Amino acid sequence: MQPLRPPRTITRRSFLAWAAILAPMPAIVRRAHAASILEIQNDPATLHALADTVLPSALGTAGIANAVRDFTDWGAGYHEGAEVVHGYGTSRLRTLGPTPLTRWTSQLADLNARAQSAHQKRFSALARAQREAIVRTALQEQRLDRMPNVADANHVAVALVAHFYDSPAATDLCYEAQIGKQTCRPLAAQARKPLPMMKLSER
Amino acid sequence: MRRAIESDVCIVGSGISAAMVADRLARTTSAAVLVVEAGDETIPLPRRAATRERFLRYNENPWGRDHLEGYEIDGPLQSRSMQVGGLAMHWGGVTPRFSPDDFRHHSLFGVGTDWPISYEDLEPFYQEAEELMGVAGEQGPKELDPRSKPFPMPAIPLTYNLSLLKDWAAKAGIATWSQPSAKNSVAYRGRAQCCRNDTCSPICPVGAKYSPDMTWTALRASNRVRLAPRTLVRKLVLAPDGKTISHAIAADRDRPNDPVELHAKLFVVAAGYTWSSHLLLLSAQAGAPDGIANSSGLVGKYLTGHRNVQGYIDLPIRLYPGMNEQHSLLSKQFMRAKPGAPFMRHDLRVWESAVGKGPRLADDDGSLMLGDAILSDWRARTKTGTARVRAYYDVLPDRSSELTLDAARTNAWGDPLPRLAFRDAPESAALRGRTEDSIRALFESMAKAGGGKVLRTSVDNFQDHPAGGCRMGTDAQSSVVNSWGRTHDHENLFVVGAPTSVSGSCANATLTFCALALRSAYEIERGLPRSTR
Repeated sequence: MQPLRPPRTITRRSFLAWAAILAPMPAIVRRAHAASILEIQNDPATLHALADTVLPSALGTAGIANAVRDFTDWGAGYHEGAEVVHGYGTSRLRTLGPTPLTRWTSQLADLNARAQSAHQKRFSALARAQREAIVRTALQEQRLDRMPNVADANHVAVALVAHFYDSPAATDLCYEAQIGKQTCRPLAAQARKPLPMMKLSER
Repeated sequence: MRRAIESDVCIVGSGISAAMVADRLARTTSAAVLVVEAGDETIPLPRRAATRERFLRYNENPWGRDHLEGYEIDGPLQSRSMQVGGLAMHWGGVTPRFSPDDFRHHSLFGVGTDWPISYEDLEPFYQEAEELMGVAGEQGPKELDPRSKPFPMPAIPLTYNLSLLKDWAAKAGIATWSQPSAKNSVAYRGRAQCCRNDTCSPICPVGAKYSPDMTWTALRASNRVRLAPRTLVRKLVLAPDGKTISHAIAADRDRPNDPVELHAKLFVVAAGYTWSSHLLLLSAQAGAPDGIANSSGLVGKYLTGHRNVQGYIDLPIRLYPGMNEQHSLLSKQFMRAKPGAPFMRHDLRVWESAVGKGPRLADDDGSLMLGDAILSDWRARTKTGTARVRAYYDVLPDRSSELTLDAARTNAWGDPLPRLAFRDAPESAALRGRTEDSIRALFESMAKAGGGKVLRTSVDNFQDHPAGGCRMGTDAQSSVVNSWGRTHDHENLFVVGAPTSVSGSCANATLTFCALALRSAYEIERGLPRSTR
């Protein structure tokens, strides 16, 4: 039996040397992530206009606003490097990848650039059909065979769509029923067919 | 500086089997019980709603730092999780019993090995485990689902979706019923009623699903056990007589330079199918050159479990996925093999599913959809529903289905890590293709009965609910422990739960591990002072 020893042997000098190299990296990542959040907050109109283009009109103005708020909250809460849930049958650990916000903010800027180029207006100032045409052009080079996980979405337009359609609200909207998936609901009620969605006028 | 901790009973591991043993000893004896756990404390219940939220949003691990660094091993480890409560912190809470036939494979079918106990021997401990955890269930057909007493709780009600799927299964000639689960259909022993949050595995945010931390919280609050987390047991040491265990040597992860000696009259290894065998093998020493309790050479051998065939069936009925996705129907109709016929058995479970019915970005022609088009397309495709069907089938273990020490990989203390390799016994290997084909044919016939079609099937190569490695038996040459879990070699050393299994059946096995552990505790308590409480 080998003698007990600490998990890793590291001298103070080597620790400081490594720390000097590595410490700036997370700090840079955190700064870029925070800057992206700020950038989206400073220009809410572009993201709202994009949501209005890619999400279903049945949501209405308030529903679109909620979807955008949830999406930006999601982005702000993303922790690069956080450990993801363990897989079964393997000892391999996985972590969340780089923050997607940095690419999404540059894509929002790109939508504005395309709008300026084609119509001399900001993206948010365009008619819905014009916005959709720009989004379709921007997505032309993307592989879009299935709905990705939000963090894996290559484009902010797809991320918005994926985020909304993953929500309990989207499922209820699709089925036009009060399913309320992944929410705390009375157990006994599961025995009956979900109640129909209330119409907006009934809410 | 070396420290020593004294106790009457030292339990290595704090997973579900350890919790069963500790609970019973605390009820029936006045013994001083020490539980040692290599991992950290788990996330307390009040924090689980928040960690669940991050799991839902980002797929983050809701259990925090629930593993030891540097434990990447060669082979299919069930889970990297190592914490107070063990793997059952994130189990699905599904609790079928094994069938009576499971214990008599060789006598009835001429394959595998008979257990040294019968279903009847284990039945009272099944009931005890169900009552301890709180199992909600529905009596199935008596001949398929024998039990001496009712379930402690009424069954989780079928969802609207499952009621429709039950009718469909009946059309295919299959009797199904509500899956027994360690989830509260009503408030039970201070724990909340299930409110179908749909995330039983990996995390129940309200404590309606039993997890071992609930037992530890109660036992620690009443000072009936002492639990030492972050304490990795590295070796069991023989007494000078060479027959009993004198003490264990552990590493306190907070004081790695100060080894801890754990002295006890009796040692209970309750560390699951991997870490139990691993510890015994690591404990090789003079008098036990191949490891503790290993005079048979079978420590780490006969690792067992079961594989599954899974399918998705498109049915012309409207389902509403998300009502309670993890609850299912169960059938044991195919768990009775015919004596004399090839040994092919499986269970059957049926769930609601959203597979093939999710929203998508491109239509059938591959054209991008945006805005209302996605919702319209989704609505059109959800007029019909999908059933998920899955059958676990038996995999009898070969002797070479084994855990060995991996000299190429060591942990932070220099101890070799385990290497895992699961291998089918020849009789199972010979029948694998035929078994899987027969399950696929069953799925096809079910689809046909409902006017639907099989969307796809798959076979999971990974063996689920792994067990074995210290199998029980009456013969010290062909087993590691006796039917009570006491090692043949050492009077004061028990191995309990999953490692003692002879075979893995074709059903979720955790309840059986618990029943085995409680039966071991029944034997252990006989040598301890009775409780005066």
